[in-house]
Amino acid sequence: MNTTAPAGSSSTENDQLDVSTESDADRKARFERDAMQYVDQLYSAAMRMARNPSDAEDLVQEAYTKAFSAFHQYKPGTNLKAWLYRILTNTYINLYRKRQREPLQSHSDTIEDWQLAKAAEHTSSGLRSAEAEALDHLPDSDIKNALQSIPEEFRLAVYFSDVEGFAYKEISEIMNTPIGTVMSRLHRGRKLLRDLLSEYALERGLGTPAAVEGVKGTKQESAK
Amino acid sequence: MKDCEELGDCPDARIEKLYDYLDGELSHKDLVEIKAHLDSCAECAKEYDLECVIREVVKRSCRETAPTSLKDNILERIGQLKTAGH
Repeated sequence: MNTTAPAGSSSTENDQLDVSTESDADRKARFERDAMQYVDQLYSAAMRMARNPSDAEDLVQEAYTKAFSAFHQYKPGTNLKAWLYRILTNTYINLYRKRQREPLQSHSDTIEDWQLAKAAEHTSSGLRSAEAEALDHLPDSDIKNALQSIPEEFRLAVYFSDVEGFAYKEISEIMNTPIGTVMSRLHRGRKLLRDLLSEYALERGLGTPAAVEGVKGTKQESAK
Repeated sequence: MKDCEELGDCPDARIEKLYDYLDGELSHKDLVEIKAHLDSCAECAKEYDLECVIREVVKRSCRETAPTSLKDNILERIGQLKTAGH
């Protein structure tokens, strides 16, 4: 049944694993084999949370330490990556957000309606292909800046969905929030992100007539 | 998507449906419907393309490689934990 197991794997198949009788050494080996492969991915996510490499490293190290301590609670066969992301997110909230004394929800209601209205207007302009082309040419630093600029819970929802491809239900478990909230965070986050990226494209002279009209309300073309 | 009402009554409902489509969160019936619609509606297809590009650039730009020391540090710490905790 386990067709995804690497050939020649000497370890016990997860399906038959009884974690209650597993030895410490076996558990450690299983953790190293199954969980350590996600270090780069968790580090990438941590960079979207902590914003600098040093804090991101601390965060991932702390999350892995917690994950290992709680590994007997992880149910083999369920989504390990999502489980690790949940621990990472909780660690971030407890460790870093506490330091900043800000509740995670703090930005939810600060997005003005006009920002959303502006994003909606965008969708009605023509020449989308040109805009898509412009956004595709933005440097990575612009994309990261745009992501950092949107409220945190929107940013994380978009990250979990777009980068990691988690389903809404998985994101709701990772962020410990109802699916409806996940959907609204994704919806609003994506609109804000798209708006910002269009503005960046304009600033870099990658502007398109559609973007110019949408963002600046002018028909002038900034780049020919 | 201004003049297109096939996916929903208002722009918000339409784009939400597009997001759900891209996120793979639709039922098979809705999925087939939207796919057919995207094939026939240039306006929504452009919208769809743009959303795809945004996803691609986000994915592309967020890929980081952890410092090599991080893995070692983690392994060292859980090694210590094991002896301390059991």
